Amino acid sequence: MAALVLLAVGITLVVFVLTQLVPSNAVATNLGEQASADPAAVAAFKAHYGLDKPLPVRYWLYLQHLVQGDLGQSSLTHDAVTHDLGQFIPATAELALYSVVIAAFFGITFGVIAAMRRNRPTDHVLRVVSLGGISMPTFWIALVALYLGFFKLGWFPGADRLDPGVLPPPHKTGLYTIDALLAGQWALFGQALHHLVLPALVLAAFNVSLLTRYTRSAVLEVVGNDYVRAARAKGLPERVVVRRYILRAALPAVITVLGLVFANVLTGAVLVEKIFSWPGIGQYAYQAAVNLDVPAIAGVSLFVAVVYITVNFIVDILYGVIDPRIRVR
Amino acid sequence: MSTLAFRMRARRRGGRTRPAWRQPLAVAGGVIAVAWLLVAIFAPFIAPYDPLAQTFVAAQSPSSAHLFGTDELGRDVLSRVIYGARVSVPIALLLVSLAALIGGLVGALAGYFRGIVDGLSMRVVDLFFAFPAIILAMVVAAVLGRGLRNAALAIVVVAWPAYARVVRGLVLSVGDTEYVESARLLGASARRTLFRDVLPNVAGPVFVLATLDLASAILLLAGLSFLGLGAQPPQAEWGSMVADGAQYFQWWWIGTFPGLAIFTAVLAFNFLGDSLRDFFDPQTSWGGDER
Amino acid sequence: MEVEGLRVRLPTPRGFATVVDGIDYDVEPAQVFGVAGESGSGKTMSMLALLGLLPAGAIVEGRAAFGGQDLLRLKGNDLRAVSGRDIGMVFQDPMTSLHPMLTIGQQLTEHMRRHLGLSRRAADDRAAELLDQVRIPGPRSALHAYPHQFSGGMRQRIAIAIALACGPRLLIADEPTTALDVTVQAGILRLLDRLRRERDLSVVLITHDLAVMSSIADRISIFYAGQVVESGRRDELLRHPRHPYTRALLDALPHPEAARDTPLVAIKGAPPSPQQIPDGCRYHPRCPYAIEICTTDDPPLVPVGGRRLACHVDPFRHE
Repeated sequence: MAALVLLAVGITLVVFVLTQLVPSNAVATNLGEQASADPAAVAAFKAHYGLDKPLPVRYWLYLQHLVQGDLGQSSLTHDAVTHDLGQFIPATAELALYSVVIAAFFGITFGVIAAMRRNRPTDHVLRVVSLGGISMPTFWIALVALYLGFFKLGWFPGADRLDPGVLPPPHKTGLYTIDALLAGQWALFGQALHHLVLPALVLAAFNVSLLTRYTRSAVLEVVGNDYVRAARAKGLPERVVVRRYILRAALPAVITVLGLVFANVLTGAVLVEKIFSWPGIGQYAYQAAVNLDVPAIAGVSLFVAVVYITVNFIVDILYGVIDPRIRVR
Repeated sequence: MSTLAFRMRARRRGGRTRPAWRQPLAVAGGVIAVAWLLVAIFAPFIAPYDPLAQTFVAAQSPSSAHLFGTDELGRDVLSRVIYGARVSVPIALLLVSLAALIGGLVGALAGYFRGIVDGLSMRVVDLFFAFPAIILAMVVAAVLGRGLRNAALAIVVVAWPAYARVVRGLVLSVGDTEYVESARLLGASARRTLFRDVLPNVAGPVFVLATLDLASAILLLAGLSFLGLGAQPPQAEWGSMVADGAQYFQWWWIGTFPGLAIFTAVLAFNFLGDSLRDFFDPQTSWGGDER
Repeated sequence: MEVEGLRVRLPTPRGFATVVDGIDYDVEPAQVFGVAGESGSGKTMSMLALLGLLPAGAIVEGRAAFGGQDLLRLKGNDLRAVSGRDIGMVFQDPMTSLHPMLTIGQQLTEHMRRHLGLSRRAADDRAAELLDQVRIPGPRSALHAYPHQFSGGMRQRIAIAIALACGPRLLIADEPTTALDVTVQAGILRLLDRLRRERDLSVVLITHDLAVMSSIADRISIFYAGQVVESGRRDELLRHPRHPYTRALLDALPHPEAARDTPLVAIKGAPPSPQQIPDGCRYHPRCPYAIEICTTDDPPLVPVGGRRLACHVDPFRHE
């Protein structure tokens, strides 16, 4: 627990330092040409944001704002960063959700199949295919998918979460598919899903391969163990042996990979969102980085880091749930 | 002492595995990797045209004169792909070496001296791990400014923590074994034990990690360039070429061939790394004997 | 159980390796049958063959008569019913033979309920009783505990309880004490002996440790390189070994009352790998009594004065 708190503080420090390093003229970007020329306005601005104070004080001010939920104002959108984040996060969350579910389902299944058919043709095919899957650049797959699915075949829409001009469902979670279901708008649900197919599949591609490989290793590590043999000796049917003995023992390792998968999804989202014009955090982060929008960069970094830590924390808890040996504390 | 280290390494290798040259994947990977390396080195002699010359008819589909076609500015795509190898592969090699060195050093020191050194460096590593690669790389690139060199630096920043953790883990586990203990008791200096007993056991997994990391580095570098944060126009780099291709969708050859180049190069190193990993861990290997 | 002509071949990248080559033995009811031999002698493989636990692609020949059926001809559900219910197996390493994430109760009752059709409560009751019989303290609460909460010796007792859960007539114990401290070993062996008497159970005890064998086995078979080289009653075999290998094994045991500077005797050489079986008698390269015929003819296992022996020379027959 203490380690987590320390980590959180450390992150705020790193983010803060990064923002100080970004070579931007906060005054000019925020006040605009005319106001910058007015010394009084500049002084007022500096006083408000504490830009005239020494570094440690600025850090303290930053922390204070943070605790109050104030992440500053984006120099690009001129909205509060928290507001921006609230707008863009749901889109990425939805994409990530479907992507991870698809990846987990296929990846784990293929991994188990490959392990149980070790060194047979199926295994070798899966090996090569999964190696190929992690070698393809996400942005390239996205382009190929877009080209084939949208441009050539016209089966899928090429951009955004819904068709142009269509209103999103009433906001409950921000996830269009769920909101549409909650409001009973079936057609809208279908449309949102339709738009999700290509980007979710592209994002999942890399992770399916990753999961196949790691699940296979995890299962193979388990399969040689005596307790599996003992289970078979007890006359338990193979079905039960695989489910209760092999899979459960391999689960901790698989969950570790799921944490990795999550990180990959965030990474891939930046590229995929750009190509599919998906209004999510990835796009926001990219625009912020490219335009040196300091508060936005800080906000996104902080958010991403926090999410990441949370996911790892959940993974640790899951370990304890699954493996009684770890529950000791 | 070093003979003990060697024997431990050999014992850990477990069952017999087929020699490296009989693993088709390793061979394929090695051949392709070497091929790209050669292309990178001999680019000026192989490329049919100047990669930066905008002298040809723009947007021609692949033909006998231009095997990969020309791009929107009239440059030969094949030549640009060939010259792109000069950017991606050597830079990736360099930055992985750098990351491995830095990370390995930090990890080794942490594992060997333990205590405060270990605690502190691992907190720092955790910090770095809290950010997904591309976010961190983007931010660093933004801070440092655009350009290939800065993108490469950003990737080193992202990559070194993994080595630190791996090396630290290995040093800790090897350091716990009895022969290192006995070496220390016999009075061997810290540096001597580090080099002769610990390092040989650490080298293997680090090498595997590095090879696989090479693949990720190429991908990340291309990704950053794709976003415009790496190589700047008019430089011929695979990632930025794919970005071009994204813009001019209908001329599919502009983006497809550089993408294929990235794919094959990354695939080669993944094949190699995977086969190497089998060599060091036959239990989960895809082809070797079991006990 | 009667085993006749058991032969096991395992697939390797270089063709098939014969790890068990023509084994015969009989296990009487309520008897402890000891199987002794070095690693790689085929003793474990021969048992795995009976339960259908060999790796995929293995070829098994021979006959194993048990309860009116040939174990080697049974497949699928039939084999599982017999191996789960009528035969119990205890493995070598108690640290890895129990699933770390399932409770003791689950591991005790899952096959009980499957093979005997017991309800959950009945199964739990029976499980607690079993734990009591193997001397696990607090059997009721132990049902909800996990393996890592027990010591090695106790885990092995639990493994024995699991093997006995469905009331088998035969218990196969593969090196049950090898991974345990010497002090704990004795307890386990006493337990096995008591269970044998109380339940009229046949026990096949596999071990490389002749000292362990000598304490509870009734009859012993000595395995070498996939064959039986000598078999007979315990007392006779251990006091008057006639096969050179048996003799050598006994000589290799350190004697607690020997003089201080008595050198430790080891058998020169190593057992042959299944791919490199010597011609003639398999033991001849390491045998100090080998003669010409030993290098060409494989000695058959023949009954000789109350035991069975496979040796051309029989150098100790007059002792």
